[in-house]
Amino acid sequence: MKILNRIQKTSFIFATLIVLSLGSFAQTADEGAKLFSANCTSCHSINEKIVGPPLKNVHKKYDEAWIIKWVKNSQEFIKSGDAKAVKVYEENNKIPMTSFATFTDLQVKSIIAYVKAESEKAPVASAASASSNVATDSETETTDLSDCINWLMVVSFLLLIIVIGLMISILEKLGDIKGKPSINWIRINGFLLLAFLILGMAAVVWEFYYHTKLTVNAQTPASAHGVIYDSMFNITLVLTGIMFVVTQVLLFWYGYRYKHSDTRKALYYPDNHKLEFIWTIIPAVVLTVLVVRGLQTWSAITDRNQNDKAQVIEVFGYQFDWKMRYAGADNKLGAHDFRKMGVWNELGVDPNDSASKDDIVTSELHLKVGQPVVLKFRAKDVIHSAYLPHFRVQMNVVPGLPTQFIFTPTVTTNQMREIMKNPTFDYVLLCNKICGSAHYRMNRKVIVESAEDYYKWLSTQPKLVAENTATAESDSKALATK
Amino acid sequence: MSNQNLNQDNHGHSDDHGHHKETFISKYVFSMDHKMIAKQFLITGIIMGTLGMAMSMIFRLQLAFPDMKFPFFEGIMGHWGKDGKLDPNFYLALITIHGTIMVFYVLTAGLSGTFSNLLIPLQVGARDMASPFLNMLSYWFFFLSSCVLVSSLFVDGGPASAGWTIYPPLSALPKAIPGSGTGMTLWLVAIILFIASALLGGVNYITTVLNMRTLGMKMTRLPLTIWAFLVTAVLGLLSFPVLLGAGLLLIFDRSFGTSFYLADIPADMAGGIERVGGSPILFQHLFWFLGHPEVYIILLPALGITSEVIATNSRKPIFGYRAMIGSILAIAVLSFIVWGHHMFITGMNPFLGSVFVLGTLIIAVPSAVKTFNYIATLWKGNLQLTPAMLFAIGLVSFFISGGLTGLFLGNAALDINLHDTYFVVAHFHIVMGSAAIFGMMSGIYHWFPKMFGRMMNKSLGYAHFWLTFISAYCVFFPMHFMGLAGVPRRYYANTAYDQFSTFVDMNVFITIAALIGGAAQLLFLFNFFYSIRKGKKATQNPWNSNTLEWTAPVKHLHGNWPGDIPHVYRWPYDYSKPGSEVDFIPQNIPEEGQTDPLQEMASQHNH
Repeated sequence: MKILNRIQKTSFIFATLIVLSLGSFAQTADEGAKLFSANCTSCHSINEKIVGPPLKNVHKKYDEAWIIKWVKNSQEFIKSGDAKAVKVYEENNKIPMTSFATFTDLQVKSIIAYVKAESEKAPVASAASASSNVATDSETETTDLSDCINWLMVVSFLLLIIVIGLMISILEKLGDIKGKPSINWIRINGFLLLAFLILGMAAVVWEFYYHTKLTVNAQTPASAHGVIYDSMFNITLVLTGIMFVVTQVLLFWYGYRYKHSDTRKALYYPDNHKLEFIWTIIPAVVLTVLVVRGLQTWSAITDRNQNDKAQVIEVFGYQFDWKMRYAGADNKLGAHDFRKMGVWNELGVDPNDSASKDDIVTSELHLKVGQPVVLKFRAKDVIHSAYLPHFRVQMNVVPGLPTQFIFTPTVTTNQMREIMKNPTFDYVLLCNKICGSAHYRMNRKVIVESAEDYYKWLSTQPKLVAENTATAESDSKALATK
Repeated sequence: MSNQNLNQDNHGHSDDHGHHKETFISKYVFSMDHKMIAKQFLITGIIMGTLGMAMSMIFRLQLAFPDMKFPFFEGIMGHWGKDGKLDPNFYLALITIHGTIMVFYVLTAGLSGTFSNLLIPLQVGARDMASPFLNMLSYWFFFLSSCVLVSSLFVDGGPASAGWTIYPPLSALPKAIPGSGTGMTLWLVAIILFIASALLGGVNYITTVLNMRTLGMKMTRLPLTIWAFLVTAVLGLLSFPVLLGAGLLLIFDRSFGTSFYLADIPADMAGGIERVGGSPILFQHLFWFLGHPEVYIILLPALGITSEVIATNSRKPIFGYRAMIGSILAIAVLSFIVWGHHMFITGMNPFLGSVFVLGTLIIAVPSAVKTFNYIATLWKGNLQLTPAMLFAIGLVSFFISGGLTGLFLGNAALDINLHDTYFVVAHFHIVMGSAAIFGMMSGIYHWFPKMFGRMMNKSLGYAHFWLTFISAYCVFFPMHFMGLAGVPRRYYANTAYDQFSTFVDMNVFITIAALIGGAAQLLFLFNFFYSIRKGKKATQNPWNSNTLEWTAPVKHLHGNWPGDIPHVYRWPYDYSKPGSEVDFIPQNIPEEGQTDPLQEMASQHNH
């Protein structure tokens, strides 16, 4: 029986392999491109070192079997003492590469095919952009410190400082000899305080004028609650702005106005209860306004009663990427268990739960405009934070602790592109909690679209359980035979 | 207590004559003299500060020029800077160690350790700390801790890299980031040694202030520096043990397979043992229970120093002395119930968030009172714009700017979009970083003559102030706008999302400003070390100040005063008092008709 079983299993695997390979040979590089952008780009690029080394010509340096072994479980491979593997590990500061045990050999091969195609393409691409490179090259050269002129400037600047320093010290020594200081430092510093106040305030105005438009607050909020968020922000900005100007002006003006003079005596004025009372009450009143308005805004945004109507989407964070799980027609996410994370099931979804049947796992976050959504967050390894600045949405993604955020996107990506007059603009989902080396690359596009486009896109996404049924069955069979 | 004072006074006097012979080791190394310990804290702090600042220069270069290669990176960092490119893991290590050094080693130990040690015995009128031996231990624990932290830079996998807040699971799983291996273990050891140092110091400060004041030094006659140091020590004593607990549990999770902070972590991620049932958020609660009071542990001594420096150099009493004490106490109490504002978006119950909003914004009231009192002190003063005074004014300016942005972050609703962005970086570098550093600088320029018997060079001091002040604003003010655009902190480069490319110029500008600010600190370092040996000789009371430390001779004595400890007759802020010829009246000068507190007490005993 055992032998029969084994034959049955191997023949099954062969059959699937043949079927798969026939279907996929033609589109290996395409398939590889998809896999590459979904799994590898947070740490690798073809030509540049990011967290991991550049992958250009990797197919020439290592044979295919070696690469497959490495990709599937590099740490085991290193432990086994393979000289090449150890060398790669050490060359890259002993930072282990994430293991992709879920990949089939074929999938890895398709990625290699993609890398191969890209490696061969690379010189052409760089030749094409050579003209633009020349421009940037010459630019960097002029700003390079190795440039003679710049060195001369640095040296003459240093000399100037030394000369000024010497002059000051000579003047001070002269003052010592004469018995009265020849530089009136107090006068100079008094004027500098005044100058700092005037120039500083001018700089603040300039900054607000030029840099406010770069902020998300200057853009139309892309969510329903973004409107009350922005109004709360503006109230705080105005109130603190007034306090800022009044106190800084008084501070520096008094610093200038009351600088030391031999002819004047300071006023002995140790206390005044009325004044103390006034400037306890004023901040207290201002803060009452901020607290009351702030808490109203806070409870409106975090109101859980919106829950019923909202469409459920799970956002799953892991080093260093995001996966989304759409709840499907029943609007219920299937159960999950971190122990089930593995070979074909990165998110650890329970395939036997009836709610899992229609769940859809994707790499992009698509949202239907005007549809309230509840994002349910889950993490695999460390704390991440899902941050969607244009929607005024952020929530930590904590392993073992489910969190959520409910909001309604109101502006589609296309509308926002028009508003911002920027045809390449995209909303983004960023990781905003330090999570490791490629933290800074852990982001995904967010697309808000019309209902029509949204359903069109969703229908192209494969269902999680259906897609993997074959694999799941063979898995459970394998378990049973054990 | 009055009896104790009486004894101590007589006892101290006789003690003074029967000194042990001092060897080099007992005088300069294992010294039990609070003035020497203060200098040890200061110099260690300055060395650590220089290291922390140098790190910030490296990661600022990376942030401004993410595509450029700096060959010297390989020279100083070896394989972490291979081919002149900073490794992303080492970038995280640098920001982690930079934060740790600045928060704990410079602004806690370097600031509070230096000035509490120097000023508490001298300003309350005591011969030394309550326990000179514990005081010595406090320094040597700190020194050991610094050594452990610095040595962690050289271990395999690099130093701790999970951010200075070391949130688990990132800090608990070496598989998640290489810095969470040996480097993290050493970080934890260093912090535990540090906590031991802080506690030993704190116990001493509190005891000395409460029990060892000279005759006539009522609590309401204490300089505001002492009030600040006292309250700081209490804060430290109540909050540091919580961090110790948090650290120990993390050590258990890391080394002994427990799951205090770990939940749903598969075995292959966590050293072969599946971790279930813990809570990563628990660590954050414990950490910030220290972490928030820590902000005031850093800030209060700086504010205390500023009160003293501003009053002395304005030649005016500090405005609202009692209100200042009241606001220090209010800030201290409130600082224990606001830690949750660091955690609004961890998924905590929104109602709990509301409570933390209320507490956080209330803290702004005593802070505002302090600010207005400083400004009122300047009003109609006769300002001696010494470098110390300028740094104090700079502190007030930073305290305003950074305090006001706290009103955005403390409001849970607004925190949603600002949390962990550059807005936060700007906020705390201004209100906690720059303000506290300016308080420390102000203190160094002001008390340098007391510490080393020499004056620092004034013109270098002015150059240092203006360059630092302007560059600090140039570095941190623009960061607010990056934060408002949603740029997250702790990003190795802002290249992965196209929209952030609008900040390329700003990042270059910030880095240039930071380099200038860094270069300005070289002026300070030169001035400091040169003046120790070659500065102008100081007079006994160079700033015409009222407090007791200036009644002690320039040359340091073990026991502080050659004869009796001076008795105190008045508060420390009698500057420009009407009816007096000079514009200052030190605390040890009796008012007309006032009797010596010693006789007063003796007569009370007779009754």
